[in-house]
Amino acid sequence: MEALLIFAGMALATFVTRYTMIAVLGRPDPARPFGGDEESGGVQPGLLRRWLRYVPAAVLAALVVPAALAPRGELDLGLPALAVLIGAVVAWRTRNVLWTIAAGMTLFWLFRALGW
Amino acid sequence: MRSGSHDFWRGVWATAPLLPGVVAFGLLYGVMARQVGFTPWQAWAMSLIVHAGSAQFAVLGMWGAAGATTIILTTLVINLRHLLMGASVAPHLRDLSPPWKALLALWMSDESYALAIAEYERGRGSHWYFLGANVGIYLAWPAGGLLGATLGTAIPNPGRYGLDLLFPLAFLGLLTAFLTDRISVAVALAGGGLALMGALLLPGKWHVVVAGLLGSALGLLLEEVGKRWKRC
Repeated sequence: MEALLIFAGMALATFVTRYTMIAVLGRPDPARPFGGDEESGGVQPGLLRRWLRYVPAAVLAALVVPAALAPRGELDLGLPALAVLIGAVVAWRTRNVLWTIAAGMTLFWLFRALGW
Repeated sequence: MRSGSHDFWRGVWATAPLLPGVVAFGLLYGVMARQVGFTPWQAWAMSLIVHAGSAQFAVLGMWGAAGATTIILTTLVINLRHLLMGASVAPHLRDLSPPWKALLALWMSDESYALAIAEYERGRGSHWYFLGANVGIYLAWPAGGLLGATLGTAIPNPGRYGLDLLFPLAFLGLLTAFLTDRISVAVALAGGGLALMGALLLPGKWHVVVAGLLGSALGLLLEEVGKRWKRC
């Protein structure tokens, strides 16, 4: 029972981090946090909007690189790192999730079978 | 007009390549949960109720030793990266009602966020797609946990089959949607590099928060510098 209460607290903490910015920056209100440049001539709203455009690239890269090169918190340049590197090349050329996965996994299994 | 159910199922299907990785990660979580004294049902309940993988692993590591407040604060800190994710997806959700926003926030995982924001970037995104991606990941995660907690250490190490590679590989593919010019490529390189350094030096998931903030700020900076340059 006590465990369930702790889980509920954790769920609430998680929800707060996920919902806060969606609620604050997703408002359709007249302050126009996103559409400011033309309508209000304000500099701040435009800046915020342009900054947000770069967030996904930074966050996705920040999730990928440590997962590939330091999955356990220390640098590990073994076969998984090589497979992700090949995946990066294929992603760059094809811009396709499935081809990227196929290339990285094929290389991983091939080298595994060869005894790496 | 695209239909909601079509987009919903497209979102669910889009999670398919990631699911073996999510389930493998869930198995590992389940095994660890048993080791700290959880019953299989508790392991399952935690995944179902909390639905935050990294935070759950961190909490298992302190279970029994830390009080409820510490556990909840740790969860909050590890999930701070979702502030950045929420901020960047927020402009796409402006026209939704508050209940819809709350529903999408509730199960927003790293994976479903990445799928949804990439789809929005490509002009095919919708809240139904986002919900579908959320649901796909949401169902797989506790299933893996329950299985791992039931089977115990009988399961093989997911690293042997490269299942832990699915996450970075899929995210690379999704990342390319945002590499539209030289500035965004610089942002991704900076974000990745800073995150790697941060992962070696900082605890928890701070590296994602720091690299996400600094990397995106660099993008804005380069954009401003570029404008001044042209004006001169």
